[in-house]
Amino acid sequence: MNFLTKLTLLGLLFVNISLFAQDNFTVSGTVIDSENQPIPGVNIVVLNTTRGAQTDFDGNYSIDVASGESLQFSYIGFATQIIEIIGQRSLNITLQEDTSQLDEVVVIGYGTRKKSSLTGAVAKVSGSDIAAIQATRVDDALGGKLSGVLIQQQDGAPGADPKIQIRAASSINGNSDPLIVVDGYPISGSLATVNPNDIESLEVLKDAASAAIYGSRGANGVILVTTKKGKSGKPTFSFNTFYSTSSRYLKDNEMLKTSGEWANILENGIADGTYDVSELDPAFLNYKIDAYRNSPDVVAVEDWLFQSGYTQNYDFSMSGGTDDVNYFASVGYQDTEGIVITQGFERANARLNIDAKLGDKFKTGVNFNGFTSNRDIVGHDMRDLLRAYSVHPIYHTEQSIAFVQQLDQQAQALGLAAFDDGYRGGDAPFNNSIYTLEPGDTAQDWHYGRSGNGIGGSGDAGPATKLDNTNRYQKTYFANVSTYLQFQIIEGLNIKTVFGADMRDTQDYFWRGLEFDSRARTNQTALDQVDLKSSSILSETTLNYAKQIGKHDISAVAGFEFQNFYNNGTSLNGSNVPFSDIINFNLLNPADIQVNERKETIHRRSVFGRINYAYDSRYLISVSLRRDGDSRFGANNRFENFPALSVGWNIHNESWYNSDAVSLIKPRFSTGSLGTTSDLGAYSSLSLLNPQPTFFGVGFLIPSDVANPNLTWQTNTETNYGIDLGFLKNRIRLGVDYYTSDIENILINQSVSEVLGTTSIRLNSGDVRSKGLELELSAIAIQKDDFKWDISGNFSTVKTEITDLGDLEELPAVIYGQSGRGPVFRNYVGGEIGEMWGLETIGQVEDSFIADPTRVVGLNSSEYYVVDQNGDGVIDRTRTVEEGGDLVKIGQNTPDFYYGLNSQMSYKLFDFSFQFQGAEGGDVFNIDPIYWQSEFGGRVRDSFDANDDGIADHNGLFYTQSRNQLDAQIQDASYLALRNLTIGYTINPDLTNTIGISRARIYVAATNLLYLWGDNYTSFNPEGVETTNTGYLGPTTYGVQVGASPIVRSYTFGLSVNF
Amino acid sequence: MKTVYKLLLGSLLLITACEDLDQVPPNFASSDSLDDFEGVVNAAYFYHVGAVTPWAVMGDFRADNAIMDEEPYPEFDRYGPDLTVMEDQFFRPFYSQLYKAILSTNNVIENSTDVSDIGEAKFLRALAYFKLVLVFGDVPVNLVAAPTTDDPTFFERQPAAEVYNNVIIPDLQDAIAVLDTEIVNGRASSLAAQALLGKVYMFRGEFVNAESQLASVLSGASAAGISLQANYADIFGELNDQNSEVIFASQISSSVVDEYEDSEFWSWYGGLDTKSLMPLDPDLIAAFDASDASGGGTDLRRAVNLDETLMASPKYPQTGGPEHDWIELRLADVILLYAEALNENGASAESVLDLLDPIRTRAGLTVLDHTVLNTQALVRQAIYDERRLELAFEGHRWFDLVRTGTVDTEMGETININYHLFPVPISEILATNNVITQNPGY
Repeated sequence: MNFLTKLTLLGLLFVNISLFAQDNFTVSGTVIDSENQPIPGVNIVVLNTTRGAQTDFDGNYSIDVASGESLQFSYIGFATQIIEIIGQRSLNITLQEDTSQLDEVVVIGYGTRKKSSLTGAVAKVSGSDIAAIQATRVDDALGGKLSGVLIQQQDGAPGADPKIQIRAASSINGNSDPLIVVDGYPISGSLATVNPNDIESLEVLKDAASAAIYGSRGANGVILVTTKKGKSGKPTFSFNTFYSTSSRYLKDNEMLKTSGEWANILENGIADGTYDVSELDPAFLNYKIDAYRNSPDVVAVEDWLFQSGYTQNYDFSMSGGTDDVNYFASVGYQDTEGIVITQGFERANARLNIDAKLGDKFKTGVNFNGFTSNRDIVGHDMRDLLRAYSVHPIYHTEQSIAFVQQLDQQAQALGLAAFDDGYRGGDAPFNNSIYTLEPGDTAQDWHYGRSGNGIGGSGDAGPATKLDNTNRYQKTYFANVSTYLQFQIIEGLNIKTVFGADMRDTQDYFWRGLEFDSRARTNQTALDQVDLKSSSILSETTLNYAKQIGKHDISAVAGFEFQNFYNNGTSLNGSNVPFSDIINFNLLNPADIQVNERKETIHRRSVFGRINYAYDSRYLISVSLRRDGDSRFGANNRFENFPALSVGWNIHNESWYNSDAVSLIKPRFSTGSLGTTSDLGAYSSLSLLNPQPTFFGVGFLIPSDVANPNLTWQTNTETNYGIDLGFLKNRIRLGVDYYTSDIENILINQSVSEVLGTTSIRLNSGDVRSKGLELELSAIAIQKDDFKWDISGNFSTVKTEITDLGDLEELPAVIYGQSGRGPVFRNYVGGEIGEMWGLETIGQVEDSFIADPTRVVGLNSSEYYVVDQNGDGVIDRTRTVEEGGDLVKIGQNTPDFYYGLNSQMSYKLFDFSFQFQGAEGGDVFNIDPIYWQSEFGGRVRDSFDANDDGIADHNGLFYTQSRNQLDAQIQDASYLALRNLTIGYTINPDLTNTIGISRARIYVAATNLLYLWGDNYTSFNPEGVETTNTGYLGPTTYGVQVGASPIVRSYTFGLSVNF
Repeated sequence: MKTVYKLLLGSLLLITACEDLDQVPPNFASSDSLDDFEGVVNAAYFYHVGAVTPWAVMGDFRADNAIMDEEPYPEFDRYGPDLTVMEDQFFRPFYSQLYKAILSTNNVIENSTDVSDIGEAKFLRALAYFKLVLVFGDVPVNLVAAPTTDDPTFFERQPAAEVYNNVIIPDLQDAIAVLDTEIVNGRASSLAAQALLGKVYMFRGEFVNAESQLASVLSGASAAGISLQANYADIFGELNDQNSEVIFASQISSSVVDEYEDSEFWSWYGGLDTKSLMPLDPDLIAAFDASDASGGGTDLRRAVNLDETLMASPKYPQTGGPEHDWIELRLADVILLYAEALNENGASAESVLDLLDPIRTRAGLTVLDHTVLNTQALVRQAIYDERRLELAFEGHRWFDLVRTGTVDTEMGETININYHLFPVPISEILATNNVITQNPGY
């Protein structure tokens, strides 16, 4: 610039200023969004001029205008507003998010895509939706939100992962857990690794075509989590905290009775003839009734076991950046005390995301996420704890001690056995006779005698003794670090390398001491510790291309990926644990400690590519291919290709299309193939000699697996037909998807002759087909400046059929449950996965046939009449009716359909939202009643079946005990839950701004305020399904309930502040 | 910058591309990775231990030495189709442990280059098939280390005679040829292989072959350090493990947990299992009574074998229970078999009965008089009787009854010949779609 030019410019500037100086003035204000967050970078233009401005980091702007001119505020993703200036000097603007704007960006595998160009079934949940609910876990916030995503609280304990199943189960054996990818890194863990407050958005890839880019890992669906990134500008801070109190949803269970109630039942039953006591000695009868009636200080087991829990949660995050470097950092802490005593969960987590530009061409970044948690788990089976007879206090009082002693004297006077006989074993220091008890000792069942001589239930120690002498916890340490480097080769073409690692260290601990057992049997003790370090390293390089050339919109990605997994661990299983104040493996006899070590390495390598093409936003197509190799498979079959194709058509964008009512019509079709390794171990295809000590020293035992070099992937070919519809300028939207899936080469365990040295081998043999329908309807019911209401609902069905099992017609039938009490699980060609079979019952044997109702305190004879289906005079529970036996199908856990309803409303500074979730048509085989109804004491009179042929003599009907695979144990697992209800209030920003707070919101929320379940369901959690007893085989044995942790109802008060 | 990037990318590629998909765990062995197969031989010994208890129960509880009490265990004494309910506790573990032993031995025979490892493996394979054949009759034969499942006929049961002729006898002959006479740490020796081969011939009724094998055992015994114990009581129990009379035993230690998960043989015999708290069969007491009456005093073996107060056998005391070895072959057994073979081959009563003298003298009984027992049949019965008392609660009785064709006379009832064998595990029949068949009668 020469001097002259500068002078000219300066002159023009003066002219300019002087022009405005005459009748112009300055307007200033703040631009915020609907959540009162300031929006930096909003473009402000004086219409029909070249004058403009932008908001700063705090959303503030100022601009010179003249009266009568109009200001246009625009920002991407928000509806543009135009406001005429008639003298205002101050103008605050709230920009509304533009809901009609279709070009929302959706994260897909290895890239992003405009929503309007999507061809697959991808569901998105925004971080603000998740944050609005303030759940302690991400998966809690998802319940009921998405079609095709079934979230089931099968455990219910704090810190326990729910079952997440996307569409149909992809495997007969393995689990249904979807792949979780956080910021591009496929982590080895569940959604629980992510703090809900850190989430920017979450996408679920449901159909095969969308997930196929993850090939062999996508068969259970993929959940992509994108965490928050910093934005350029001053640091902003966010602080969230809440406190919840919780309790079990159901207050009292009708099945669980206490001593006095039993006395009433017994007396009333005798009085009205329900029970026949003619064969009993009246002295004995009175003794029993009095004993039930007079037992002092009785505490119901329920009242002792369940408590009021709480959760406190704190999260703090900061984000910001310069033009070149952005950061987001958060720390969080959560502490939960469960609603069952000894249950708890504590966790601390941290995240750091940094992205930096290095010059014009390079970008780099690092993401770190880590947490440590401790989960306290109820150390003993809740079924068994609740089964304890509530005839005594939890800890003895002077009165209860006096009572048991005089009761024992009474019993002996009646000629009954002394209470101490038989059950008090050993000479352990705690093993008191009932005559040396002291107040504060745990009350044990046998202190009250047994059903034959007293009112105790069994020879068991009492529930408090059991729980006080067990300890179970799980500690977890998790860290995930990933870095990337991205280079722009030319405009639109980038190459990116991601390198990272994750590490999870879990320690499972269990102790059961000698005092646990009333007979002090050392073989009942245990000390187990499992340490497992699982880690993986990932290297992934992708080439990305995205270009808009005229009407052609092309994006493509190609890449390769390596991931290695390492599992290293030891498990120590100790038995015969000595009685000691100190619990230490060093105190055990070395021969009582069994050590197992685990060292596994799994390598995977993949190449993949995808091309998306859209023409004129009308015709959409996407093609992808992934080739995966996995070291777990047999040498002959390690690699597999997973192709996918999807197409879509934006009919509403056609020039000939002209309809105001239907503003969006987009049919979609996709088909693709996915793989899964099922539950394959690292070395399942190999034949390995297991080291084991022998008499002569080192021994190499024969392989547990027969070598199978042909072992290969299960492949799932899925076809999806979908349509997206929008009505009334897309204020109402409807998405419909129908899919069919065909899983081939299913890995099954096929029984083989033990000549092979093993009882079963892994084979790719089997075929399962499933289909499902999913609907999503959403509406913007009200959209005014200060009143908004969005409502959405979803509905899903899924149906599965086994169509082939190789050489077999049926997998071996399995009785899974508790100690042989469970349904017969059948998996056969033509059936569903995990069908429950059993005997059909036609009512209980009448109470009047109970031999001794004082034994069966309570409720019924424990015997049921069963149907002899084929009339052959024999009840055969090993074969179906078709096969000549009497088994019939009695239930199945998978619901017929499941659904959700969500509403979000805001009025001025108030917000209100709720979320319903429900499932209909599934069953559980509930084992609890078999134990809780005291049916073990039940015996019918000898005269009931005089010739002892299993047929009741008075009516000729077959009968059997309730424990024997009966449909009487089938209960309705349907439920409808008001998962969440939240009312929030944002304190007027004008007030908070003055103290530097941009936004402050307080809220109250309730979870499971309402929870409806089926009439015949009798336990505490219809979603509960037992998956941890020995013999559990995965989906083929899914559907039994045993002492599930109750549904939790909680009330939360929370505060969130941004500054 | 671009160069830096290329370098970086290149090095990452190198790091990862070297990783391959052939993964073998560092803490496990495979047949391909082993040079020394002694650990696999040891595994074969280990599996034999797991088959000991079912064998003991079949040998004595099925016969007239011991009885079961709690249902359904008395099926052992009923000789009917319902014995199959005992499958899970006895026949199936017996079957699976022996086939695992066989797989281990096959691995050694196929892959090892060490002659003595192979010799031991052949002895252990022969012992496994011998036990299988005695219990089940015809059995599937597997002689390879890594059998495939492609050919279903592979699992077909082979006639017992062929198993003897094609597997058991040749294996033992091979073992005799390569193994040392000396017994090292109680491992298999050529003496043990000879003794077993002699016994096998006895079960085949090949008395001439049996005589020559058993004669070599007796002549080679002292060179191998084998001799009769002076006291009968000193043969049994933890403290006497590996005594001079033992030719081969399955050695047992509580610090090595075998794969059999139920009560062990010593607790069955000792009445320590609630399924049979008083296992002693009165018929065995009567046998001792008869022997005492004719033998001029109280049999010293009586107190070792019988506790008539508890009605159980004190032979393997509870103290040290998990340490008692299981004697598979001992010198007195061989002597009795040899005497039997000589008698069958027409030797004089005197020469045969002389052989029994040391056994009877040790038991505190008078020697048998050849002038009284002066026919082959009388001598035969005398040897059978001696055998029952000498070898009570050592798992021999039932198999000896079947071998000698004396089941009905000794048991005092007519037992269908079908029930001389035990039922094949039903799981085997199901898993092979009936290629493996059930024994008749079950």
